[in-house]
Amino acid sequence: MNQQKTALLTGDIEAVAQNTSRQIKTLDQRSFIRANISTALKLLIAAPLLAVTTQLLRWLFGFAAGAWLPWEAWIFLTCVIPAVWLCGEAAMRQFQVTRHRALRAADEQIGSSDRIVTADEFLRRTSRDGFMQAAVEDAVDWAAGGRDTVLDRGPAEFSVSRSSLWPVPVAITALVLAGLLTQLERATVADSPAGHTVTPVSDSTSVEQTPTPKKQLLTTNDQQPPPKQIDSSPDQHSQRAVNRQGAANAAIPDNAEESQGKVNEGETRESRQSANPSSAKGSPSASGQPSKPGDQTKTTPKKKQQVTPKNDRKKKPRKQNDKPSGATAGQGSSKGSDNNAAPSDWASTSQAATPDDKDIEDEDSVDDEEEEQESRGGVQPNMRDRRTPVNRDLQIGFGTDRPNPDANGRGGPGGQKKSRGVASLVLGVPIPDRVNGQPNKGRIRITQQRITPEAEQSDQGPAQNRSPRDGIVGPIHHPDFSPWLQDLVKRYFLDRRARFPLRTSATQSAPATNSVNTPQTINATESDAPQS
Amino acid sequence: MSDTLTVDNPEMAREAAAEFRSVHASIRAEVARMIVGQDATVDGVLAALFAAGHVLLEGVPGLGKTLLVSSIGEAIDLTFSRIQFTPDMMPADIRGTNVLTEDEAGGTKLEFQAGPLVANLVLADEINRATPRTQAALLESMQEKQISVGNRTIKLEEPFCVMATQNPVEQEGTYPLPEAQLDRFLFKLVVGYPAENDYRTILRRTTSNSEVQLNAVSDAATILRMRQVVRAVPVPEHVETEAIQLVMATQPGNKYTPSMINEVVSLGASPRGVQSLILAGKVRALLEGRFAVAGEDLRAVAPDVLRHRILVNFQGMSDGITADDVIQEVLK
Repeated sequence: MNQQKTALLTGDIEAVAQNTSRQIKTLDQRSFIRANISTALKLLIAAPLLAVTTQLLRWLFGFAAGAWLPWEAWIFLTCVIPAVWLCGEAAMRQFQVTRHRALRAADEQIGSSDRIVTADEFLRRTSRDGFMQAAVEDAVDWAAGGRDTVLDRGPAEFSVSRSSLWPVPVAITALVLAGLLTQLERATVADSPAGHTVTPVSDSTSVEQTPTPKKQLLTTNDQQPPPKQIDSSPDQHSQRAVNRQGAANAAIPDNAEESQGKVNEGETRESRQSANPSSAKGSPSASGQPSKPGDQTKTTPKKKQQVTPKNDRKKKPRKQNDKPSGATAGQGSSKGSDNNAAPSDWASTSQAATPDDKDIEDEDSVDDEEEEQESRGGVQPNMRDRRTPVNRDLQIGFGTDRPNPDANGRGGPGGQKKSRGVASLVLGVPIPDRVNGQPNKGRIRITQQRITPEAEQSDQGPAQNRSPRDGIVGPIHHPDFSPWLQDLVKRYFLDRRARFPLRTSATQSAPATNSVNTPQTINATESDAPQS
Repeated sequence: MSDTLTVDNPEMAREAAAEFRSVHASIRAEVARMIVGQDATVDGVLAALFAAGHVLLEGVPGLGKTLLVSSIGEAIDLTFSRIQFTPDMMPADIRGTNVLTEDEAGGTKLEFQAGPLVANLVLADEINRATPRTQAALLESMQEKQISVGNRTIKLEEPFCVMATQNPVEQEGTYPLPEAQLDRFLFKLVVGYPAENDYRTILRRTTSNSEVQLNAVSDAATILRMRQVVRAVPVPEHVETEAIQLVMATQPGNKYTPSMINEVVSLGASPRGVQSLILAGKVRALLEGRFAVAGEDLRAVAPDVLRHRILVNFQGMSDGITADDVIQEVLK
C-alpha cells in the first residue's frame, strides 16, 4: 500500500469520523432532550407560581384588582420556559464524541465489522506487520463507502411516564388560582365595637363610614399598607371587654347590650359589678340569703325548661325543707369569713343518699357552670374545683345496710380517683411472673393444596434448538434411595391411594372441609407456645 | 516444532489466511462425511484445535460426540486415543506407568509404558465418571502439555488436544469437574439434537451397508502451522479492552459487573478466559475473512468460552439462571 493510497484512506476515515460525529452529536442532543423531558415538565409550574406569587403580593399590599401581566402572557410563559430551557441546555451542553466512537458507529451502521476503526488504529502505529497492513488495505473500500453514512436515528417517540406529568395539572391549577386572585379584591375589617363589619378597601362609601382616620388614609393612597385586621374571635373580644371594665362600657352604646348575645349580657353585668363593687360585696355578708334573687330568678326559667317535670316535683319539697346548702351559698351567699362554699358542696354530695339527690346535684353543677361565666370578675372567685369530690370510701356498702350506688370498693365512683389513688396501684389480678413452656410441638395447622396433574400442551419446536438442558432430558436428579426404600415409599403411596382415591372433578370443585381425605396434604407445624 | 511464522507483508498475510480457511474447510468437509449436522459443534472443535485449546463436549448419549472426535482424528492424521473414564480408573491408567521388564541380558528393568494420554488427540469419554484423582491427572497434561510419572517427565507431542465429553443426564455416580480443570478447557460446547433432515441422513448412512471411510486431509505439521497463523492475527486495542471488560464483568464485585451478576454469580471468569476469548476470536476473524479481531468475534465466541468458567450461586440456580444467561447479561 503506497503513500497515496494511505493518504486516501486516511482522508476517507477522517471524513467518516466527522460525518458520524456530527450525527452522533445530534443524536446525543435528542437523547438528552428525551431524557430531560420530565425535568422540563417541572419547569411548567415556574410561570404559574410566579403569577400566583405576584398576585398574592398585590393582594396583600392592597393593590387594586387586576393582573400584573395579561393572562395570555402567563400562559405563553408557562409553555415557553420549559421548551427554552430544554433547547438551551441541549444546545449549550458539550457532547463529546470521540473519534473511536464515531468510527465504530460508522462500522456498525455499514456492517464492516470494525474494519474502519481497526484500520484507523493500525494506521497510527509506527510499525505494522503483514496482517496489520492487510487489515488496513481491507478497510479501504469500507471507508470510501462510509463517507456518507447516515446513522439510524432510532425511535422517534418520546415516552414520558405518568408520574412525571404531575406539573401539568399543578401549572393549570396555579394559573387558575392566579386568575382568581386577579378577580379578588383586598378585604379589610372595620374597627367597630362589634368587630364583625368587613369593609372592602375599594369601597369608598364604606371607608367613609369608618371613623378612624387611618382608613381614610387608605382610601386616598393605595400604596399605604392596610391596617391590621381586627380579630373578632369571641374569646378575645370578651377578654378585652373584661379588661376594659367600666371605662370600656362607657363607650359602648346602650343598644349594644340588646344586639349581642348572652356573652355581652354578662359583660355588661360584670361591668356593672365592677363599676359598683359595694353592691356585690354587701349582699353576701348581709345574710345567708341569696345575694341576688333577682338574678337567680332571671336565669332559672331557662334552666327549668330542661328539667323534667318529675324532677321538678321531687325537687320542690327539697328546696322547701332544706336550708340553703353550700351549693346555694356558693351562688353568692356568704355567712361570714368561714363560710366556704366548697366544703358544704362536698358534704352535700357525699351525703347524697338517693338518686334524686344526685339529680339535684347534677342540676346544681350545671347551674354552677353557668354561674362561673357570670361570677367571673365579681365577688365569687372562679372555682373550678366545685365539682363533686371523689369518694374515698373503699367499702362497697354504704354504711350499715344501704348500698352505695357509686361505691365499688375501689375508692370512689369516678375514674379520676382510680387514676390517682393508691388503690389503683394495687394489682387485683395475680399475674404470674413466669410462664411455663409447653414441651410439645404446639398447635398443628393443616393446610390443603389440591393439585390435579394436567398434561402440558406445547409445541416441541425445532429439534436442534432443544438443548439437553431445555428439554425433558435435562439433568435429572435421582433421589438417593436404596431399592428397599424405594419399594417402601412406593407401597406407602399405593396403599394411601387405595384408601383415599383421587376424587373426580365434580367433587374436587366442592370446598374441602376435611383435610384428611384430600389427595395431597401438607402438614405444617407451627409452634405457638413458648418452648421451655 | 516449526519456527515462528513471520508475516512481513500483506500478501503473506492473505496467503496464510487463505490457507487457514482452506485447511479448515477441507477438514470440516471430511468430518461432515461422517458427522451429520452439528455444524456449530464441529466448528467449535476445530477452532479449539487451531487455537491450541481443549474442548469439553456436553450432551446426552447418542449425539455423536465420540464419533465426532474420532472423525477429526482420522481426518487430520493424528494419533488418536480414547479413554473411557470409569470410577475405578486410576491416574496410571491414563498417564502410563513403569513396568518391570526383562532386558536382553536377563536382568530386569523398569520401563515406562505410556498410557493413552500420550497422543495427539485424546478423547476423554465421560470424563466426569472418573474420580477427582484421575481427573487431576489430566491437569498437567492439559496445561503444560507434559506428564510426570515417577521421576521422569514426558513432553507430549504437539498438537495435543483433549476432547472430553460428559453426559448431563447421568449425574448419579459422577464427579463434577473441578473449576481448575474446567478452566483449562478453551470451549465448552453443548451438543444439541440434530434437525429433522439430519435424522434422515443419519438413518441412511448408519442403517445401510455403506461404510464411510475418512481420509486424512491434513496432518500435524499443517495444524501447527495454522496455529501460528492464528496467533499472528493482530488484536486492536479497543478489542482487547472489550475482551478484558467482558471477562471482568463476569466477576462479582467488579466495576463492570451488572447488578444481576453480583447477585447470582459466585465465581467469574479468570484471566485464562481472556486468553481463550482472544484466541477463539482470532480463529473466527480468519474464518470470517478478516485480518484482525473485531468486537463481534468476541461476542460470538463468548458463550462457548465463558460458559464453564462462570459459577452460578444457589440464588441464581433457584431462580433458574444459567451461565448462558449471565453471559447474555454481560453482552448487553
